[in-house]
Amino acid sequence: MNTHPYLRAFLSGLFVPTLIMPLLLTVFIVVRLGLQWPFPIERGLVFPMALVPGLWGLWSMLWLRSHELTHLPLGIHGALLPFLLLPAGAVVAKYSGVVNFESSSVFWFNAVHIPYAVFAVGFLAGITVYYLVWKYIVGFLNRVLGIA
Amino acid sequence: MNPLEQERLKKLLKQALPPVDESPEPACDLWPAVLRRLDQGHTRVPWFDWALLAGVGVFVAFTPAWIPVILYYL
Repeated sequence: MNTHPYLRAFLSGLFVPTLIMPLLLTVFIVVRLGLQWPFPIERGLVFPMALVPGLWGLWSMLWLRSHELTHLPLGIHGALLPFLLLPAGAVVAKYSGVVNFESSSVFWFNAVHIPYAVFAVGFLAGITVYYLVWKYIVGFLNRVLGIA
Repeated sequence: MNPLEQERLKKLLKQALPPVDESPEPACDLWPAVLRRLDQGHTRVPWFDWALLAGVGVFVAFTPAWIPVILYYL
């Protein structure tokens, strides 16, 4: 099975965000339509539903392309993705009104205050999540699909 | 579009698209190979990865406000 390796890499990268999507939709339906929460959280769905899956797929393709040169382990490669996603997501969130940057904290979804110090720790936690997901889940899929 | 143009378009389309084989299915059953790959996929998880996972779990347990933010980026 040596045909279309980049398509298979794209699909293995796409897998995890695609699993998260129904979860996000469920949260949206329960919170916005069920509990009638007044904040328009659907604006916050644009980034995780439209951009994140494609970026994961492209990042997986990039790993396949660059692996022979860099020899970077897949987990480390995945852990670099938040450095791209964090600013991109922040810009989308800012302009869609999901987040407000205040003097001492970030205000998410009109409900969650996150001080900047905690934000740094949270970013490290996010990098760790990405590292583990890419190392074990995307890596497993790459082995199954014959591209690792 | 007149009938002559339709006929020409039909001919061009037939030339552009490769004919489908008589039996388009693969020569052998690929599912056993997938199952073999799944069986080979067991990897040992080193202790520091467990520690990282525990660290993330503790962080999320103490700051549950982060859950929607992490989901936003997944």
